[in-house]
Amino acid sequence: MSVLRLFTACLLLMPLAAQAKAPVIEIEIRNHLFQPEEVLIPAHTKVKLVVYNRDKTPEEFESYELNREKVIMGGRKANIFIGPLEPGVYPFFGEFNPKTAQGRVVAQ
Amino acid sequence: MLINSVILVLREVLEAALLISVLLALSVRLRLSLSWLLWALPATAIAVTLFAGFLDVMTDAFDGAGQELASALLQAAVFLSLAGIVYFCSCRQRQASSPALPLALLMSLAATCALTREVSEVLIYVAGFAASPDHRTAVFAGGAIGAGIGISMGVLLYAGLRALRFLPFLNVCYVLLALIGAGMVMQSTMLLEQVDWMPVGQQLWDSSALVGEQSLTGQLLYAVFGYEATPSVVQGGIYLFCLATIAAAWALPGLSDRTGVLDDAS
Repeated sequence: MSVLRLFTACLLLMPLAAQAKAPVIEIEIRNHLFQPEEVLIPAHTKVKLVVYNRDKTPEEFESYELNREKVIMGGRKANIFIGPLEPGVYPFFGEFNPKTAQGRVVAQ
Repeated sequence: MLINSVILVLREVLEAALLISVLLALSVRLRLSLSWLLWALPATAIAVTLFAGFLDVMTDAFDGAGQELASALLQAAVFLSLAGIVYFCSCRQRQASSPALPLALLMSLAATCALTREVSEVLIYVAGFAASPDHRTAVFAGGAIGAGIGISMGVLLYAGLRALRFLPFLNVCYVLLALIGAGMVMQSTMLLEQVDWMPVGQQLWDSSALVGEQSLTGQLLYAVFGYEATPSVVQGGIYLFCLATIAAAWALPGLSDRTGVLDDAS
């Protein structure tokens, strides 16, 4: 039982421990394209991406390199926290329109 | 467009298809009624309608973390159901008269929760393109092919499992359920990291050069083990904890048998 209690306590405390202010970067999806395609962020820093889907159709923000996936309905926005990242290039794409919706996060 | 649809739908269908195959094979071998599947299907239909229908409202809830929390809850529910299934199967393996109802309920719950998120995403995707005459045919055809491949792999797994002798069969099923369950919990930790409900731990390793997550092998490994090319220390720890939990669920009925024997002897 004590393990269960500890687990619950950890679960409850997690958001408090994790939620610190992170710089916000906005991205738009328009005509199945990410704007901007390249997002520069500071390395070793947690960043909040706010992705606005300006299309009518849904899109899924997906990145294998960033370990992120989130469905964004048409006309809606989504918050996605990334990092802290080592310097490098991290591609992302729109899973529903992967041919056109391509972008990358550059951590430097 | 066609290939994209095949891959997207296959990715979603594969994991649920493999899980349901293992549960079906277990039910048949342990002589359980398959009625749990009949309960799971309407329950899934309702859950998918709610999930897909309210996704935009859900996404904005909890300061933008609602979608991830709902998905993580579904995945945690699958894991707990699987741990329960392993426990009750292990009981039934030792005593054929042990109750079958908890197993049926847990199998139903596991199948419903595993299917809800995956089917919702496919539904949102297909519905999004249904209005576009340019893409509609390719999306429908690709989706059907992807679902077909996913279900075929489930059928293959089912046939492979049925070909095993009883004990090895059970052990392989338990191992598969443990891996699928732990993989689901690991995915949910990633979702919680994504909305900043969980701290991002240090990276444990990077095997993306060896097996890319987007490769076919990567996708298969993802469906079975929840494969991540770049897992964090926290995720690795949680994965091992989940495997240990299922191992304990498997061992528990045997331990109580043994204690019983000792009590009798004294």
